[in-house]
Amino acid sequence: MKNIFLFSLFSIILSGWTVTTYAQSEDDLIEICGMIAQDATFLKDFTIRLDAGDPPPIQRFSVILKKGIKYRFSVCNSNDYEGRVILQLFDNNRLLATTYVVASGKDYPSIDYDCSKTGAYHLFFNFKEGKPGLAVGLLSLVETM
Amino acid sequence: MYRNVILLIATVLLATSCRFFDSNRNLSREDFDIPEGLLDEKPLEVASEVIDDMIQNVSSPVEMAAIIKGLKIPFNRDYIANTKDMNNLNTSFQKAVGLGIYGADLGYINMYERTSLVINHITTIKSLADGIQVGQFFDFNSLSRIATNRENIDSLLLISQQSFNRIDSYLRETNRAHLSVVIIAGVWIEGLYIASRVAEDAKHPRIDETIGEQKVIMSSLMLLLNNYKGDPNVSKLISDFEEIQALYKDVRITYEYGDPIPVEKDGVLTFKQNDTQTIIMSDETLNNIIKKVQSVRNKLLIG
Repeated sequence: MKNIFLFSLFSIILSGWTVTTYAQSEDDLIEICGMIAQDATFLKDFTIRLDAGDPPPIQRFSVILKKGIKYRFSVCNSNDYEGRVILQLFDNNRLLATTYVVASGKDYPSIDYDCSKTGAYHLFFNFKEGKPGLAVGLLSLVETM
Repeated sequence: MYRNVILLIATVLLATSCRFFDSNRNLSREDFDIPEGLLDEKPLEVASEVIDDMIQNVSSPVEMAAIIKGLKIPFNRDYIANTKDMNNLNTSFQKAVGLGIYGADLGYINMYERTSLVINHITTIKSLADGIQVGQFFDFNSLSRIATNRENIDSLLLISQQSFNRIDSYLRETNRAHLSVVIIAGVWIEGLYIASRVAEDAKHPRIDETIGEQKVIMSSLMLLLNNYKGDPNVSKLISDFEEIQALYKDVRITYEYGDPIPVEKDGVLTFKQNDTQTIIMSDETLNNIIKKVQSVRNKLLIG
């Protein structure tokens, strides 16, 4: 009986040593996001780190987009947090694109945007239901049109 | 009696108050009791979040190069800066400008996959980056390896872009944001310089439009630069750029707005923007902008 206990204890300790989990770093997320963006050319990355909140807190970035370019926005969530990120692209007050389509309830890890006007645009990131989260957004260039 | 007294008091008060506003008397700080903390000569500071926001607003050189390549305009080595000009750049300010100019050229070279030119350019960039103590963020070894072995060109673009993003972040973290802004100014002027050379040679309306569009970007850039106008070098750069900005006053941009259209194809969701922009610019204005941009850029490389 004592031997079984010792064996079990030894097994638990051993599995504790071998089954090690690693937290995902921002660089890891950028790499994963790069894979999601596939063959598009990397332009910028954005790190989103938000606490829980109601209404859901928002992190905002501005970018210049150029006419005649197809851009790709990719998002990647850290598995260490509950939050699933939503990206929304705005031009002043107009919602132009999003990774979460409310009507279908569908999430997209990446979306493309055919830009027809050079200017400043705003990226709004938040986590669904205001859960805490860590995510990376990637802006890349797909092609010129 | 009372009336006369009131009139006398009013006259005296009026006379003393007028003396206070006497324009012939030079009022100095000593005439006022100003708290010490307000007497600093520091420039008006814009919050770092606002700076971050504005920096993100100045586009990367890759997009300009992609537009040029997309129009099937061939690569031209004459458009990029000669790496020998690096020897003219001695101060931190000049090195930062150079870092931006050669960085933009690297974007152009990378886009056209001219790996034979990459080594020379990244060696120059590394040297300039070391000169302002940010060389550690420029991944010289990876870039050299990729260029020498003609490995994946996407990696070349990725590492170049990431290196510049890290340099930018570090300069801002170490309170040298003015150098970061100067690098951005260098990237911007070189991108516009390349476009101006292409416009002269290729005479393509899309390139003319790209030059006209820079009016929008230039206003953000000038806002950024003006935050550091207390620095004499930045102030000189602002004067040069203001000459370009003055020419852009004759460029008019109009917009028509339409709702974006989402299209899902093969699982890829694409939003097609439905806005239209129109650039109204005379040939004379375009030529004046081209000449001025080339003159300002060439002057920056003289040091």
